[in-house]
Amino acid sequence: MTKITGRVWTFGDNISADNGIIQYSKVPDLGTFDIPALKAMLFVLLDPDFPQKVREGDIVVAGRNFAHHSHPHACVAMIESGIRACVVESTDSAFIRKGLNYGLPIVPCRGITEIAATGDEIETDLGTGIARNLHTGDERRFRPYCDSMLQVWRLGGLAPALRERVAAATAFMNGPK
Amino acid sequence: MGQTGGEKIIPRAAGRDSVEPGEYVTVSPDYTCCQDISWPARKKIMEEAGVTRLARPDKLVMVVDHTTAAGMGTAYHANHREMRDFAARHGANYYGPGSGLRHQVLIEEGYARPGLLVFSDEPNIASIGAVGALNLAISTEVVVTSVLNENWMVVPRPVRITLTGELRPGVQIRDLAQILIRDFAETDDLSQSCIEYAGPGVSTLSLDERQTLLACTYHAGPDTALMPVDEVALDYVRARAGDRPYELFTADPGAEYAFEATYDLSEVEPMITVPPELHTVVPVGDIAGLRIDQAAIASCANARMDDLRIAASLLKGRRIADHVTMYITPGSREIYAEAGREGLLSVLAEAGATILAPGCTTCWGYEGVLGDGEVSVSTHQMNYNGRNGSREARAYLGSPYLVAAAALAGEVVDPRTVLGEPGRAA
Repeated sequence: MTKITGRVWTFGDNISADNGIIQYSKVPDLGTFDIPALKAMLFVLLDPDFPQKVREGDIVVAGRNFAHHSHPHACVAMIESGIRACVVESTDSAFIRKGLNYGLPIVPCRGITEIAATGDEIETDLGTGIARNLHTGDERRFRPYCDSMLQVWRLGGLAPALRERVAAATAFMNGPK
Repeated sequence: MGQTGGEKIIPRAAGRDSVEPGEYVTVSPDYTCCQDISWPARKKIMEEAGVTRLARPDKLVMVVDHTTAAGMGTAYHANHREMRDFAARHGANYYGPGSGLRHQVLIEEGYARPGLLVFSDEPNIASIGAVGALNLAISTEVVVTSVLNENWMVVPRPVRITLTGELRPGVQIRDLAQILIRDFAETDDLSQSCIEYAGPGVSTLSLDERQTLLACTYHAGPDTALMPVDEVALDYVRARAGDRPYELFTADPGAEYAFEATYDLSEVEPMITVPPELHTVVPVGDIAGLRIDQAAIASCANARMDDLRIAASLLKGRRIADHVTMYITPGSREIYAEAGREGLLSVLAEAGATILAPGCTTCWGYEGVLGDGEVSVSTHQMNYNGRNGSREARAYLGSPYLVAAAALAGEVVDPRTVLGEPGRAA
């Protein structure tokens, strides 16, 4: 199963990670992830009530150049607030990586803002590369995640995925004689 | 369809004949490079995963560059020892405090070689593209790559930026870097790309200048960047690589680029980046006269011999303004020593500057911490509020020329007004 279905929140182009998704300069302690503080600042520069409105399972849809030059705090703020995917017109590869490390898929998908509006429900299939508006049936295609990325996503991020890989390798090495 | 030079690096690391831009592929990078401040978090993940050995410890390069000296009141000295012990236990490569920036260690020690793929925990390490090595920024995945000797990556789109002409006196390649950030950071023209610099302008740039441009390029939007490997670059590689292998990749005829742009170096003017955004870049004249408290030449953008020579050429026989504190950080131990041999360090010290141990130092506020209301001008990479200390401080960015000129004047000035004759300090 590689589908994520959720309610959409849309944002525009050039949403900064550090001064848009969150406010990096106001993170109380950069050495740790202060979850309550990060959740309280999520998207408030763009929608002041967002932390009160976001629900478990929601999906962010955004425009071009999403979150360039990011710190991972932005991904942690989203995943901890219940957001389960970001489907965007364009982003940078480092943000895809940071998101997946915390179990949050960031998906570049041209045309997504043409077919999804705030309040719609969309289904994003990481394995087949199809994003579909469940209200209108409109679809856009994107590059599907490769198997090793899907494994990281399923297991909830980099640390649990590494545990699994190491355990599997250890079991193999210690395997049946 | 032909492939660009940069596009050929990834198939080799992926063990495939070809890959497509935008594709997610699994690769075995030639090296993985990591730093010190995030080490405790990396180590914790490995311990929790039950990691007892690294697949290829010889491919791991561990560098202490963020916390150059273990100061009283910080916990960082513990990281230094933990990294050293980890490297010794596993057989990884370790470079301790004062060795210099990862960017420099990789190139000086011959890890970065043409055609190689390097995973590092910083996008600005694209500076190693000066010798044709491709940097790919990762973070926590340093541990995955080290443990498993493989990881996924996104194949970048090839983009070409052609440089023509030659920089004029008082203007530096850093000025062009800031112009690129101004022009592209708020677009997605360069998103998920590898910029391949090209054109006759490249050969007018020293290897140091090429590294400056590459180190700043990420902030304009791409994943990474490369320079053509010409004779200047190859001479450097031959002197550093020893008998370790490398491979030269050039573009096929008819190679296609997803986006192209051209810049004439002779049209570049001295620029200054205004806080707190990196893309707010204006001609220095627009804010000339702004009083400064601190001037700093440091960072992976500008801490190489060319930069120290330029600073020394302006500061020789002069004193910086009384109210200004100036810090200068050579990018590596090798650069520090070379600057000593050339007499640059004494020139800078006699002008009133403080020379710091090689590493990141003032760029991320480990040293040269700014207080409320203070203004700095530096060659650092970032300018957001709080980057160098107080969130009420203001961090302007520019070339070494601009920083040295401001240190002398005590305020922002057009560096060309300090130059006595074209291209030389008065």
